[in-house]
Amino acid sequence: MALIGFLIVFPLVVAALLLLFRANTARNAIVWGGGAVIALASCAFVFTHLGAQEVLIPFESEAIDWLCTGISVAIVAVILAFSYKHKNVWAALLAVVQLAMVLWFELGIEAEQPVAYSLYFDSLSVLMAFIIGVIGSGICIYAIGYMEDFQAHEPEGARDRRPTFFALMFLFLSAMFAIVFCNNMEWMFTAWEVTTLCSFLLIGYTRTDEAMRNAFRQIIMNLAGGIGFVVALYACALQVGTLSFHEFLAIGMQYPQLAVLAVTGFGFAGITKAAQMPFQTWLLGAMVAPTPTSALLHSSTMVKAGVFLLVKCAPLYAVCPAPSVMVMLVGGITFALCSFMAISQSNAKRVLAYSTIANLGLITACAGVGTPEAVWAACFLILFHAVAKSLLFLCVGTAEHHIGSRDIEAMDLLFERMPRLARYMMVGIMAMFIAPFGMLVAKWATLVSFVDVHQVALVIILAFGSAATFMFWAKWLGKLAGIAGQPENVELTVHKSEWFATTLMMFLLLAACIGIVPVSHCIVEPYVASVYGVLGQDIASDNLWIAAICVVVVSAVLLTPRFRNRGRQVPVYLAGVSADNDARTFRDSLSNQTPATARNWYMEDVFGEKRIAPVGVVFNSAIMAVVFVLAFMATPMPF
Amino acid sequence: MGILIALLGTVAFAVLAPVVGCLLAGVDRIVSARMQGRVGPPLLQPYYDVRKLFGKERAAVNGVEHAYVVCAWLFACVAGGIFFTGGNLLLCVFVITLSSLFFIMAAYSTRSPYAEVGAARETLQVMAYEPMVLLLAVGFYMAAGSFDVGAALSLDAPVIGATLLVFLGVLFILTIKLRKSPFDLSMSHHAHQEIVRGITTEMSGPTLGLVEVMHWCENVLFLGWIGLFFVWGNPASLALAVVVALAAYFLEIAIDNNFARVKWQFMLKSAWAVALVAGGVNIALLAFL
Repeated sequence: MALIGFLIVFPLVVAALLLLFRANTARNAIVWGGGAVIALASCAFVFTHLGAQEVLIPFESEAIDWLCTGISVAIVAVILAFSYKHKNVWAALLAVVQLAMVLWFELGIEAEQPVAYSLYFDSLSVLMAFIIGVIGSGICIYAIGYMEDFQAHEPEGARDRRPTFFALMFLFLSAMFAIVFCNNMEWMFTAWEVTTLCSFLLIGYTRTDEAMRNAFRQIIMNLAGGIGFVVALYACALQVGTLSFHEFLAIGMQYPQLAVLAVTGFGFAGITKAAQMPFQTWLLGAMVAPTPTSALLHSSTMVKAGVFLLVKCAPLYAVCPAPSVMVMLVGGITFALCSFMAISQSNAKRVLAYSTIANLGLITACAGVGTPEAVWAACFLILFHAVAKSLLFLCVGTAEHHIGSRDIEAMDLLFERMPRLARYMMVGIMAMFIAPFGMLVAKWATLVSFVDVHQVALVIILAFGSAATFMFWAKWLGKLAGIAGQPENVELTVHKSEWFATTLMMFLLLAACIGIVPVSHCIVEPYVASVYGVLGQDIASDNLWIAAICVVVVSAVLLTPRFRNRGRQVPVYLAGVSADNDARTFRDSLSNQTPATARNWYMEDVFGEKRIAPVGVVFNSAIMAVVFVLAFMATPMPF
Repeated sequence: MGILIALLGTVAFAVLAPVVGCLLAGVDRIVSARMQGRVGPPLLQPYYDVRKLFGKERAAVNGVEHAYVVCAWLFACVAGGIFFTGGNLLLCVFVITLSSLFFIMAAYSTRSPYAEVGAARETLQVMAYEPMVLLLAVGFYMAAGSFDVGAALSLDAPVIGATLLVFLGVLFILTIKLRKSPFDLSMSHHAHQEIVRGITTEMSGPTLGLVEVMHWCENVLFLGWIGLFFVWGNPASLALAVVVALAAYFLEIAIDNNFARVKWQFMLKSAWAVALVAGGVNIALLAFL
């Protein structure tokens, strides 16, 4: 209990300190210290609550209710100020609408609905606390070195906004902890909106036109999602008659017809926050921000809040057909189409973004299926995606600063130019898409759960989406693996904090993959059991152990620093006309030297964004519109 | 216990599958020759070829390539071990994909223009056949009630009765998996339609020998998938499965000799269309009937 309060409040203290002490050395010390304390505290929380069943904590506070109202008003004030300055009508309009709804709700309806147990935790919160606390603060520490380079790359005389940047990162962590520990939905909503605002400010960090445009796109979409959340709050208060998430789930499972509108609203809120199509553009736009922001948004915060909410609602989707179809199809279609579009991208961050959206789609679809097996798979997808994706973002960020590009084609020969980083990146990439790593094991469980509920469409979507996933990761991996000549090693100047964070992520990743059986036993299974009363694990432990052994072999091979060539070193075959074999140049028909280069395959005309994105946008928007109409019609209106 | 069985199976497969695969390759060459009006080499010619490769000097453009090829071979054996000891079919599918990935990485690591073309095409081939392979596992699960290959031995009737369309789809992509023309884009046994040597351009001596051995192992595994459709509780069904697998192999040789290599667009579109129609319809029928 005290630890939960500490996890929510301490990051706020760190954020305040960061705003107060603005010198570089002080800030670095505060971030190192603060990050370490948060990570250790969340580890302590995790290890003392392994196998936890749901525990409700009796806690009521009118002061915090008022504080939430105040925060809501403050958020809207900030948004309005930015909208005024950048002349954005839509953001202002949505913010005002949302504020009106929230105030009416909090002052009118909510007062009659006190929640006796405002805080809680269960094994899913434990899992999330680990992700937020350890991975989130790892990213904050990484940012120390990264932002130093970033500031150095900024044009002369650019304002140093780093104190705000770091403060926002820690504020983000605090809000995320609040989301996973609050049973009081009104508090949860406030934290939800804080994450929206934080990502708005972080995306717009550089204040360039492009950054502000993308930041506004983010806030418009997520304010719309927030309105969906408020609709769900109304439905909870007026139809289900409670603002306690725990009671809402319990009542909803017994009387699904009461909860239809609420879970549709939560579904919509989760879908916007998890950047599912048609809202994928905000997450794609978010990559204009410095890399630690992207890493934070993609792996441990923001989008994970979206899927967290959906997974929490999963038992209700199992009993409410209309919202379940919405969540399943939106997630499934997003998974397949975004995997296709990732093939056509050569910008590394964009590939990562599409892959994130696709994997969140899979988690969303699992939540929509809502069986114990699907939730087991969803929890593992969340865990493995968080670790692997943060590792990849951090690696790409470091590579970008040292090779001057985030284009995959520019990562040619990285195996020798940045030997250690390239190996980390290869482990991260393999962990995202190939057996025996955890991500694929989770996908495997997903497939089994889809088959078990006879969701033929989802099975087919998963089969084709996975094939596309293989393509875009394998060709990137191939680019990294190339070796030619003796290129200069450019990773000697990488900051210590960056090495610390990437190495940490790498070990977490391998530990999670190898220890999948104990993780399942101590964290994921207890959650599934506490919600459904039955275990939902559908892969035999023997098979998981076989996968774990294979992980050891594969990572040992990948991480070997140097393979001795046990035979004679020979030049590559260049049709007998090679000029400089190390540089892969040959003598062409005009007796000039031409380098033999090969670009990866992007298949723009088959998998291009222009061709594929509209399909998903139209289809998913239509599904959501229809389901909302159905949900409103199915709900008796008390007002 | 399951782990130990899979481990022993892997060792047994690594020893036995090359023998069977080598004989199959010998038969392939004789049958192909007869189809082309030639006499063909002795049955054991593939063995002589590989033995010669292993006797050659080690020469490579880097040290990594060989390590990756060893991994590819190792995981092909693990996949075979899992399959033939009655293990989980999906795990077998995933592990053989891992093997393909290591093979692709081996080619990419050389950064030779010709090998890279082959590697890119191999990646595309994996993408082309992967949906049907996954649907094969799903179809088997829905018909047999378990992903365990061993469960086939306690069925009252072979799964082929319920999965005919899936079987036809697998037969289609088998051409890609066995590296037969018209879908041998990444590496062809027909010299006239190949850019140098595709994905194996930079592999030589023992490394190339190991690639051949791996290819034999893979062929045995893939024919095992074909045979799986015809296995049920009756022990005689195993003989039937072998006969069907051999018939499928003969069919693939005939296709190999009668079609010229196609472009990648046709391969991708046709393989996905077949997976969508054959796999999708069959699975929908299994789910809703």
